[in-house]
Order: sequence, then C-alpha cells, then structure tokens
Amino acid sequence: MNLWKLEWIRLVRTKRWIALLGVYVFFGLVGPLSARYLGEIVEQFGGGIEVTIPPAVPADGMAQFVSNASQLGLLVVVVVAAGSLAFDAKPEMGVFLRTRVDRVWDILVPRLTVSFLAAAVAFVLGALAAWYETAVLLGGLPVFGTIAGIGYGVLYLALVVAVVTAAASRAENVLGVVLITVVVLLAMPIIGIIGSVGRWLPAHLVGALSGIPGGTAVGDYLPAAGVTLALTGLCIWLAVRWSQLREL
Amino acid sequence: MIVSTHQLRKEYGATVALRDVELRVPAGSVYGLVGPNGAGKSTLLSILAGLRSASAGTIEINADHARVAVLPDTPQFDSWLTGREVVDLARTLAGPAVPVDRVDEVLEQAGLTDAANRSVGGYSRGMLQRLGVASTVVGDPMLLMLDEPSSALDPAGRREVLDLVARLRGEATVIFSSHVLGDVQEVCDSVGILREGELLFQGPLNDLLVGSAVPHYRVSLRPPIEPAAAALRAAPWVRSVEPMGAAELRISVDSVEDAETHLAGVLAPTGARVVSFGPEAATLEQVFLELTS
Repeated sequence: MNLWKLEWIRLVRTKRWIALLGVYVFFGLVGPLSARYLGEIVEQFGGGIEVTIPPAVPADGMAQFVSNASQLGLLVVVVVAAGSLAFDAKPEMGVFLRTRVDRVWDILVPRLTVSFLAAAVAFVLGALAAWYETAVLLGGLPVFGTIAGIGYGVLYLALVVAVVTAAASRAENVLGVVLITVVVLLAMPIIGIIGSVGRWLPAHLVGALSGIPGGTAVGDYLPAAGVTLALTGLCIWLAVRWSQLREL
Repeated sequence: MIVSTHQLRKEYGATVALRDVELRVPAGSVYGLVGPNGAGKSTLLSILAGLRSASAGTIEINADHARVAVLPDTPQFDSWLTGREVVDLARTLAGPAVPVDRVDEVLEQAGLTDAANRSVGGYSRGMLQRLGVASTVVGDPMLLMLDEPSSALDPAGRREVLDLVARLRGEATVIFSSHVLGDVQEVCDSVGILREGELLFQGPLNDLLVGSAVPHYRVSLRPPIEPAAAALRAAPWVRSVEPMGAAELRISVDSVEDAETHLAGVLAPTGARVVSFGPEAATLEQVFLELTS
C-alpha cells in the first residue's frame, strides 16, 4: 500500500468513480439526444404554444453536453476532489499522514493527480459519448476541432482540481472546500462580463467543445488556456505553501 | 538525550500555552508527560512532532525523521481501508527497508490478527487505538509520541494499550502524555509535570515519588515501639513521628538525605529490633496534587 494506491482504492471503494463517470457519460448520451429532439420536447410540454426552433446542427449536440456537464459534472468533480484533498479535515487523519512524510507535497501529489485523472477520464468519455451520438443523430463534427475542444475542457478541469487543492489547504472541512471552490468558479464568468476580459478567463474554455465545432477558431481559446495553465500552477503553489504552514 | 528543548514557548495571541519549556527526554526511557487538561501536553507533543510551530525556543531531536512516530489521542483512518492496509500504508511510509512480514507481526502484537482484513469502519474505539499503536510501531521507530493513548478506553482496552507501551521499553524511547496518573506511574520511568504551560518537575519517576515535598520514612520494628519513637522525636531532622499500629512508625523528615545518614544511628542506641525501614513511596497522584495545587 502506498499513497498512490490509496487514492485509487478511494475512488473504487467509495464508488466515487461511478458518480464521475455516470454524470459525464449520462450527459454525453442525453445532450445530443435532447438537441436532436428539442422541438418535439418543447411541443410536448408547450401547452399549445407554437415555438419555432431551427433544425439542430452538430455543434448543438456538443453544446447540450457542455451546458449540462459544466454544471452538475463540475460539481461532482469538486465534491470528489474535495473528499480526497481535504486530508486535514479530520486532524487525526492529517496527523497520521503528515508525521510520516518528509514534505506535504508527498501527500498532495497523488491526491491531486488521481483526482484530476479521474475527472479527466470521465469528461473525455462523456465527450466521446456525446461526439458519437451527435455523429449518429445530427451529423459529423470536425475531428481536430473536437479533440482540441476536449483538450481545452480537460485543461479547465486541471484548474478546477487545483482550486480545490488550494481551498483544501485553508478550509476546515469538505463542505468548506466545496463552497470556496464553487464561489471561485462562479466568480470567473462574472468577471468575464467586463469588456473583452472574457476570452482570457479560464471559464472561456468550458465552451470550447461546442464553440470550435460551431466555427470558433481553435486559437481563440489560447489566451484562456495560457491563463488557465498559469492559474493552475499558482493554485498548486499556494496549496503547498498553505499546507506547509498549516498547524494541526 | 534524544529530545531536548530550550526556552520553548508557544503563544496563541495573548494566551501562553508553553512557557520556556526545557524538556529533557533520556534516550530509551518511557517518559510520562502529565498535567491537567489545558496544561499544554498536546501542544508540546504537536510541536515536537512538527505539526505546530513554536513561537520561540529551539528543539533538538536526535532521531531520524523517518523513525519518529506520533499517535494522536483518538486515531482515525479511512473507514474503507482494512486494518492490514492501514498498517501496511504506515509501513510503506516508514521506509522501504521495513519488511512486509512486520505488518502481521505488529497486528498480532496488537491483538488484531482476526480483524486484520475487516474494514476499520467497523472497529471499536479500543481496536482503533490498538491499530494506531500497531501502525505507529510498524516502522521500528526510535522515538514514539503517544498523546493520551489510553484516556478514552474501557478498562480492558486501557490494559491492552498499556501492555503494548510497556513492551516498547528498551526498544524505543516513548513520550507518553496522559492525565491518568496511574497509567503513567505504571509504565513510565521518567516524568515531566506540566501546569499552565510550565514544566514544574522532570526527572526519574522514583526521584519524584521519594523526594516529594515532605518526604516520609517508614520504620517497621518489634514492639515496643515507644523508645524508638521517643528517640526519633528528639532528632533535629525529624519533623514528626506517627505510630502506625503496634509495629510501625511513620516519620516525617526534613530530607531523605538526613534520614539515610542518621536514622540507623538514632535507632541503634534504643535497642529497637528493626525489621525494615525505607522511604515511603508517594503515589504520583499525591505528588502531582502537591505540585499543581
């Protein structure tokens, strides 16, 4: 048993992998379906009101997946990562780990990495499901652009897990970690309202998976990707620093 | 000394948790750190373990970091791990040199062999405490810090943990914090008494018990005891003489040294038939109350 295997076992035995995979794959399958049949759905529940909806295009399939996954999916990622990274939430467990490693970094790296990889795999599988179903129901998507969109989405998840890591080094419990992270993630789109700042913010990457197939250039997301990378590094640095200074 | 501190101080805002503590823990000893709740025992152990920083002062620990182990008062582990996995994780973290066989060895010592493959979520408090001790000793530490390891246990669980600690004597240095004085008196050979962050006494337990504030001697002799009692009352270093039945005297003396030097000389001319005499061993509780009240 080592700290890497511990994280793997945590995912498996606590069934957290099912929550991650379930939410992304579910929305991957449902998103394009709801885009394809949106007109019929609205007609069914519209109460006689006539609503004209333009025919769905392939990008709409991914847009439906993105809109659902970027909310509930992200929340699941935050909760799962917080459960792993808030190792000081129970001080006795923190003592067990902290007194057995030379540096707190040794505890953080496996938790950070496994949480990110689990979230990334779930997201990629969900995106692939959405891609497949979009291709079947609405038509093909550009291969390079879709892969690039998935890549940007994965990069955004790296930032999400890094924010959780930083929050876990300050908050007293898992709920606190989740709340801090959610507030930070919600604040970003709000800041994006200001002028042209939006294309530099990490939240811009969330829409890449639907934006690129819809015609936005892959390069349009590069500024946000650069900022996201920088912020991810900053959050991890802060997490290490704060964890070192933390007293149990 | 395996652990020594110099002018160690910890402040939480205006509250002083530790006041210039000069801790001296002899290598190989079982050192009992006693004090009332809030005396600073856990704070001191946390600083020694590197879990908190000192406000001032220095710490010297003559043991490799990998061979220093800490057990909190109520150890907790991920509930979905088995007991064996917990100890194996502790073994891995202690270093690659520790053989895998050591896991089963310490589980057996802790009486957890039968429960080793069960999830720790189903363990009782006593089992968790023993699992904590097992995962603490699995790496063959040079220095163990046990924070109130028996305080929350029922008598049987307490007995098991004390036996585990007693078995460590000679294998490692143990710092054992507790407010259960009977436990400290039973397993410790050195003791430090903390009150309000101040180290009031430290040293060998026997020195503390024998050399308590007002030392007493017990003299057992054949009746009649009155001639011996009268001679002792006349000695300038004797504070009082109290008959304890027909064949024993309890003597309050200025110092143990006086009694050791003069007692036999005072008794000899009286013709008393002395069966035995020696210093009265105070209990740690008596001494503790004398020092902390």
